[in-house]
Amino acid sequence: MTSTPKKLAEYAAMLGIWVGLLVMFGLLSQNFLTGATFSSLANRIPSLAVVATGMTLVLIIGGIDLSVGSVLGLCGSVMGVALVNAHLPCWVATLLALGIGLVAGTLNGVISVFFRIPSFIVTLGMLEIARGLAYLSTNSQTKYIGSPVEPMSAPIPGLGISPAFLMALFVIICSQVALSRTVFGRHLVAIGTNEEAVRLAGINPKPAKIAVFALLGLLSGLGGVFHTSRLGSSDPNAGMGLELSAIAAVVIGGTSLMGGRGSVVRTFFGVLIIATLEAGLAQVGASEPTKRVITGIVIVGAVILDAWRHNLNARGFRSLGKRTNP
Amino acid sequence: MKNRFSTNLTPLLASALLMGALALMNGGCSKAPDQPEPKAAPGKPRVALIMKSLANEFFSTMAEGAKKHQSTNSASYELVVNGIKNETDLGEQVNLVEQMIAQRVSAIVIAPADSKALVTVLKRAKIAGILVVNIDNKLDAGVLKQADLNIPFVGPDNRAGARKVGEALAKQLKAGDKVTIIEGIPTAFNGQQRRLGFEDAVKKAGLTLVGVQSGRWEMEAASNVAAAMLSEHADLKAILCANDSMALGTVSAIQAAGKTGKVLVAGFDNISALQPLLQKGQVVATADQHGDQLAVFGIEAALKILKGESAPADQTTVVDLITK
Repeated sequence: MTSTPKKLAEYAAMLGIWVGLLVMFGLLSQNFLTGATFSSLANRIPSLAVVATGMTLVLIIGGIDLSVGSVLGLCGSVMGVALVNAHLPCWVATLLALGIGLVAGTLNGVISVFFRIPSFIVTLGMLEIARGLAYLSTNSQTKYIGSPVEPMSAPIPGLGISPAFLMALFVIICSQVALSRTVFGRHLVAIGTNEEAVRLAGINPKPAKIAVFALLGLLSGLGGVFHTSRLGSSDPNAGMGLELSAIAAVVIGGTSLMGGRGSVVRTFFGVLIIATLEAGLAQVGASEPTKRVITGIVIVGAVILDAWRHNLNARGFRSLGKRTNP
Repeated sequence: MKNRFSTNLTPLLASALLMGALALMNGGCSKAPDQPEPKAAPGKPRVALIMKSLANEFFSTMAEGAKKHQSTNSASYELVVNGIKNETDLGEQVNLVEQMIAQRVSAIVIAPADSKALVTVLKRAKIAGILVVNIDNKLDAGVLKQADLNIPFVGPDNRAGARKVGEALAKQLKAGDKVTIIEGIPTAFNGQQRRLGFEDAVKKAGLTLVGVQSGRWEMEAASNVAAAMLSEHADLKAILCANDSMALGTVSAIQAAGKTGKVLVAGFDNISALQPLLQKGQVVATADQHGDQLAVFGIEAALKILKGESAPADQTTVVDLITK
């Protein structure tokens, strides 16, 4: 287990990268370091943040979920249909969206665990299914919803951040606490490190594995709700390619794709870095191809930096171990 | 014993699987065309409509319009509608054209996903004796000439349409006001035309263009880009969007920035979701290129040529300015 000062040092490293980006864009553009920029940053990240949070847990157990973007799109679409076509109250539509996310995630988990199919394949299938259902349910149409859903993503006057952002923060904090302070969280890390050892230790890994996928489905549903409320409309194309942004954010945050290591708070920094990069490049007026090149470089660069730091730490540990426990 | 049993079974199992697969394929094939051979219905041409993404409302409306037209004119032609999954998946659209050549349809009416990359396969179709009509996104004139092909085009003038939208918006601004453009995917011909049309209008009205960025035709991408533009240019007066999805995203960014009413928005396509925003004045203008009729015009042109009438020159369809 990582000690508190070391964990703080890791957070500080991520914070450093983020502040570096802020300073860079502050120098390159006229009005980047303003309240308006931070408000719009806080307004745009909730859906990616909650999805990336769930994705962190899935990567920690050594799984992957490619269906998050499609599930987000499906949940948003269902919410739109429920509000615009079925005239259901907003809370019913929201619950429906969350419920569908939960069902999709649970299916991912149950199928991959009980049929022993790699989650990569199962969720690849779900990616197609959910996107298809999103188009079917909306008849491929964007639906304008407007005022019923907008308050959730509208910045609170005087505060500049939206309720959705606060909810996303809450989700991140709860997930980090669950990961590092509960038995469930320890089980996840153990499963990701060595599932066989967990089984031999007399712990059934299946419920925890299914729960993690179900949770990610639920969070994708929540992401769909945030997305719909931010745009004031439901869009069957929503979340296309989101799985890659989410995985990028998680990996920038130092979570291992091989499982067994990861942190939700650092994923959140990964999300911040990606969002800041996008916003900053748009504000500077970079062209579309340039944006993509730079984003790619930053993703790989951040991971190299993390791997390097991780190696240094491991070396530090070894020499420490030699001294105290030969 | 067990070993021999399994070796005996292997070929059996394999052939069973193969037969099953064959049966499935047969079933799949015989379902689509009811008539076994193209010669079964002489005098009743089969027209293949090949679209871009049917997940896009604009193209699904177009396909609906074509199907409706066919059902009222079922005596005069048969229709096969196909679309690709992803707007930019050229390979899939090329495959579709090849399938239609193999099915020996009489005519292909196509909205090409790329104005250059589809030319080669369309030339193969022509050589196979199939009539090709180009709708929506115009094939590149230079490449057509190089390939020595003559394919009639039926579709809207996106540049003129965008100019009209831009002019309607400019009426509410004064010279020198700052505006930005959110364009589509920069490689798409219609997107380029709309951007040029917007720029024409901006120049004519003496407005100051302070930025052009891509929203990739998507709502969320446009919303993010618009938010950045709004914080960079505090005195921005208007954002011109190359389609309505991006206009919707832009409106949400303006709302989040607390600038509703201070920054004007224009779109393109007139999708149904935009109606409430037009009513409220949050979007000033958009253009309707009558997507539901576009494919129909293309099909009608194809039928005329098949009947032996001379090939019409390129045909420009109407684009209407919508302000409320």
